[in-house]
Order: sequence, then structure tokens, then C-alpha cells
Amino acid sequence: MKRIALAAMLGLMALAPVQAQTVVKYLNIASIPDEVKLMTEAVAEYEAANPGVKVELPFLENEAFKAKLTTLLQSADAPDVFHSWGGGVFYEQAKAGVLRPIEGVLSQEAKDAQGTAGVAAFTAPDGHIYGIARDVAEVVLWYNKALFTQAGVDPESLKTWDGFLAAVQKFKDAGITPLAMGGKDKWPAHFWWSKLVVRLAGQDGFNAAARGEGDGFAGEDFVKAGQFFLQLAQLDPWQEGFQAATYGDASGYFGDGKAAMHLMGDWDYGAMKDNSATKQGIPDDQLGILPFPTIDGGKGDPTDTLGGLSGYLFSKNASDDAVKFIEWYNAKPVQSRFANAGYYIPIVNGAADGMTNPFKVLVAQDINKAHWHALFFDQALGPAVGGVVNDVSADLAANAISAEDAALQVKEAVDDAAN
Amino acid sequence: MASITTAVAAGRGVAVRRRRYMDRKSLVPLLIFLPPSLILFTVFVVLPMVDAGTFSFFQWNGYGPITNFVGFENYADVINHRNFGTAVRNSLIVVAVSLLIQLPLAMWCAIALSERSVSINILRTIFFLPFMLAEVAAGLIWKFVYDGNYGLLPIIGDALGTKMPFVLADKFWVIPAIMLVITWKYFGFHMMIFIAGLQSIPNEVVEAARLDGVKKWQIVRHIKIPMIRSAIVVSVFFAITGALQLFDIIIPLTNGGPSHSSHTIVTFLYQFGILRMKLGFGGAVSVLLFIACVIVALAYRRILFRVEQN
Repeated sequence: MKRIALAAMLGLMALAPVQAQTVVKYLNIASIPDEVKLMTEAVAEYEAANPGVKVELPFLENEAFKAKLTTLLQSADAPDVFHSWGGGVFYEQAKAGVLRPIEGVLSQEAKDAQGTAGVAAFTAPDGHIYGIARDVAEVVLWYNKALFTQAGVDPESLKTWDGFLAAVQKFKDAGITPLAMGGKDKWPAHFWWSKLVVRLAGQDGFNAAARGEGDGFAGEDFVKAGQFFLQLAQLDPWQEGFQAATYGDASGYFGDGKAAMHLMGDWDYGAMKDNSATKQGIPDDQLGILPFPTIDGGKGDPTDTLGGLSGYLFSKNASDDAVKFIEWYNAKPVQSRFANAGYYIPIVNGAADGMTNPFKVLVAQDINKAHWHALFFDQALGPAVGGVVNDVSADLAANAISAEDAALQVKEAVDDAAN
Repeated sequence: MASITTAVAAGRGVAVRRRRYMDRKSLVPLLIFLPPSLILFTVFVVLPMVDAGTFSFFQWNGYGPITNFVGFENYADVINHRNFGTAVRNSLIVVAVSLLIQLPLAMWCAIALSERSVSINILRTIFFLPFMLAEVAAGLIWKFVYDGNYGLLPIIGDALGTKMPFVLADKFWVIPAIMLVITWKYFGFHMMIFIAGLQSIPNEVVEAARLDGVKKWQIVRHIKIPMIRSAIVVSVFFAITGALQLFDIIIPLTNGGPSHSSHTIVTFLYQFGILRMKLGFGGAVSVLLFIACVIVALAYRRILFRVEQN
């Protein structure tokens, strides 16, 4: 027995140098193969320059990621770094103490490079910085120019809500699906409700409702948002069977040139190609971005945008090496590669300058000049309220709920969460 | 008389002593074989159950300590939830379909396929195949079959010259569509249980009946089915509890949609408890489901016991 124990100890000692290496686990949600390739190449570079550090890139699909993260963060298997959309979910995690404050490690340089908006997005209400901002995203109305020509619709006519509804009807009359929609995943539907709320209630109205002031989300503007949504839904504008379609299905449907428009984040530029039958998607010269229609009497600023400001969070046991790696990874030299390839719009100063993709450049400009860049509502409001927002949005898209009931359900969820 | 009594008493003494000896002898295997399963059962079944029961009285989002005691509020929330009724109704439909369609179909196939031959063996394997498939994979396969744009159903529709509905996006069709998948997936399992039962029936009994001129249907009705009673009892029990716990097929197929019309009790729990990070609410659903399962199990035993008595 003794001899075996001795042998085992010697064996462990032989392994010791290997174990001295720090492992940094960066849990990510990148699913486009070429983007993943860029990531692994960057990691290989970093590992070559820092022999003591090994970076792993575990992946979880978007929906699975959201479902598993809570448990994962409290387990021994917690990643050091993970993707975050910020907002309510991030605040919950910070409050629960599963994150590591990094202001002591974070260099001033990395802080400055993100800009004030980036740092603010990953500062929790307790004043600590828990993460680093990576990119900005905007939900835009993508459109297929060829189908617009075919139906004789002038993109200019979609500037107002009435013009937009008229255009939808025109597409219906021409036998073209006006809009693609991934109703099974629900969050694609909540972009419509959110965009209408951004237009109708504006920043102050939304924030007041989120705090539960006055009538909260049952207030007039929010009921109106539901009514406008229903006006659209009653035209039956989505592809057939949209309630069983995932985001990927809808994205592919649009990419295959079967729907005239798709209200989706700028990431759909890559996803639409990846999900299409040919993997080519809509060619750049046939693809366009429309501003979301304006609404008369709306309290929102016309420049307001809806989208994301996402980044990386560090879990409780993350090492300094994890922060150092992300600082390096999130700096301009690496991030500009992702910008140039058109996967996302990095927030880091200068990284997006070399972007040649006209759509991404347009989106970056939009966000820059926005009076309010609203975070995705389902993330900003946290999982409990956000889930209800997604539910009622999917129901509104299906014309299965009244605008009053929808607004009331969201208000109740806010009240419930405040208890 | 006296001697007989003594003899009996002595005999009893031997029996008692032997039993004690047996006890001591069986203690060692008991100590070796019981702990692994007992520990596994405690850690992975009993403790989580106790945990879920505890959560159900608290408001908790899954992070940090559990402090916010709310009494029976979560239970009230579950029962008043606008989609709970649908979830319970759907679960009951699954139970009914399992008992009234799936089991009779399995029985019919089992009787047809209980003989031994190569072709029958192949058929049996084909019918059993869906059961061996992972639930999620089965769900994804059927999602493709039902897909109204790129799936198999529109192709069949085209061939028949009609337009098929988008079944998974239709509040009415979604339930029959799911029931078809469930029946397809699990009837092979029950068929195998029945086949095993049928093969244990002594050939002589069937032969004798046949020689006496009993008709084929009567042999099934009066000999085969009564003789595999215990297999049927097990099957019915699995069918009910399995139906109440149905989850993994629904998620890839519909995720509970459209408009929450295809939730079962467990997908309801997952959607509104786990994903919304309202673990107290989820705990309350699981406790209610557990109580339902226990009632079914106890009631089933009682009914069987009564039938046996008769």
C-alpha cells in the first residue's frame, strides 16, 4: 500500500507543473463557425504569448445559456468569464454575490477604451464594476429591396406607422409575406412591443414604469403600444406558422428571400446568411435597413434606439489572469478583426473604425447619435418581468390577447417582482 | 395430543432459530448492497424533493440565501395562474391517450408479434426503435416532419393535392400532433412488456384451448390477457406516471406554444418556475405534481388490491 501511495504522490508531483497553469474558462454564445474560428485563433495567440495561461472556450446555445447560467454560476464548474447582456439579470447576479468586482485589477486604459456608457453598463447599483463591455447592437428593420420593387413599395413610405401598415397590406396583396417572425422563441416578438414603447413612452416613461410609478406598465402609452402591435398583427403580416418558428427559422426565411422585412438585431446580417438554405442569404446590394416608423404624438425621441450593450462578466472565483486575458482580448487589435468581419460592433474605442460593412457602419452611427439606447427589455427588466414581456408580445403577435390585458400582465409582473 | 403440540412447538423453535440465523446471514449482503442505492436515492431523490418542498414556501430567485418566507402564496399563485389550467388539462389528455390509445395499440401489436420468427423480430425492433431514441432527438425529428415550410407534412399535402396546416403553430392541431408523437415514441416500450408477458404463457395452455376448438379471439380474451395481468398492471402504472411527467418531447416541438396552449405540468414548471427564476413558484408546482403522483400510485394499489380480492 505504502509503495502505491508513494508512486501516486510521485505521479502527482510529475503532473504539478502542468497544474500550475491557470485555466481561464470563457463561456460564450458564439455560434457562427467563422466567428468561433476567429476566437480560437485569438486564444492561441494569447496562449503563445502567455505560457502560464490556458484559455478554454466552452459554448452554450443562446436559450440553453440563459436557462443554465444560474445553476452554473453557483457550482464548482462556474466559468471565470461569461457573456452578459447586462441589465436586470446582471444586477441580480451582482446582488447575489456570484460575481467578482474587478475595479482593483482593471487598468485605466481598458476602462477608458470602453467609454463611459460601457463602464456604466457593467457597474452594478452597489457601485462596483463587475464586467467589461464588448459590443453594441441595434434592432433594425431589415428589408429585401428586390421584394420591395416586386410589390411596388417605396421604402420612403414606411417612415410613419400608417405608411408602414399600408406597405404591409400592399405586400399581402402582392402575395409576399411582409414580415418574418420567430414566434416560438418569443423574444423576437418582444422587439415589436419594445420598439413601440420606445416610440410612444420614451425613456422617462419607460423608466418610471419599470420603477412601478403611477399606473406603471398598465399606463396609457403601454396600452397604446399593444394596440399598435395588434393593428399590425390583425393584418396577418408574418409568415405562415410563425408561432412554431424559432428565431433561426425566421432568420433563414428572411435570408431565403421569402419575407420582405425582418425586425431584428444587426447580428442578423451574419445569421440571416448562416440560416438561409444556400448559406448565402440576401446579397448586400439587395439588403437594406429602414428606421422604425415614427408615431405621431409619441413621447420618444426620434433618434432613440433599441438594442444591446453586452460584454463579459467575471464570476466570483475568477483569477486576475481572467481579467488580464479579457483586457487583451477586448482591446482594439483583436476586436477590430470581429468588426471587420462584420460579426458585431465593438464598443472599444477605434475598433469599429475599420468596419467596411455599410450596415454595421450605419448601426454604429445610429447608436452614437441616439438620445437613448434602450437595452433589450427582456434583459433590462430581469428574467421574471422580461419573461412576461416576451409572453405578451408573442400573444400580441398572434392576436391572442387584448392590449389592456397585455399591459396589465406586465404591470403585475413588476409589482410581483418588487415584493 | 400433548406430543403433537410439543412437536409443533419444537418445530416452531427451529423455524424461529433458522430465521434468526438467516437474518444474521443476510445482514452482510445488506450492509454491502444497500448503502450505494440508499445513498444515491437519498442524495438525488429525497434531498432534492425536500429542497423543492422548502423552496415552495419562499420567494427565491435561485441566487444567494433563502430568506423571504411567503407561506402558501406560491401555491395560490400556481393555482390562479392563467396557464396552469391548460397545463393540467393537457397532462390529463396525455394520460387518457396513453391509456386508451397507446396501450391497446401496444397490446394489439404484442399479440400479433409474440411468435418467434425472423421477420417478426425485425418488425418488433422497428416498433421498439422510437423508444430507444433520445426524447429531444425525437422532438426535433417531428418538428421537421411537421414544419409547414420545409417539412415532410407539406410534401405529403402536395402529393395529396391539399394544403396541410402548420400543426405546431395551430392551437387546435398542436395537441393531436403531440399525442401522435407520444404514442409513436412510447407504444413500443409497452409492446415489449406485453410480449415478454405473452411469451411466458405456457404453450400447452394455448394448445389445449385450440384443440378444444376455442376461437382465436377468445384465446386472447380469456387466456392471454388474463395471464399477462401483471404485465398490464406495470404498463398502466408507467403510462400514467410517465404521462404526468412528460417534458422533453414538448420543449423541442413547441416550447409550450402557441400561446401556451401545449404546456404540460412539467413544461409549465420549467417555463414559469425555472426560466423566470421563480424557484419558489416552481417548487410549489413540483410539490403539487408529486402529491398527484402519490395519490395516483396509492389509489392504483388500492384498486388493484380490491380487484385481486374479488
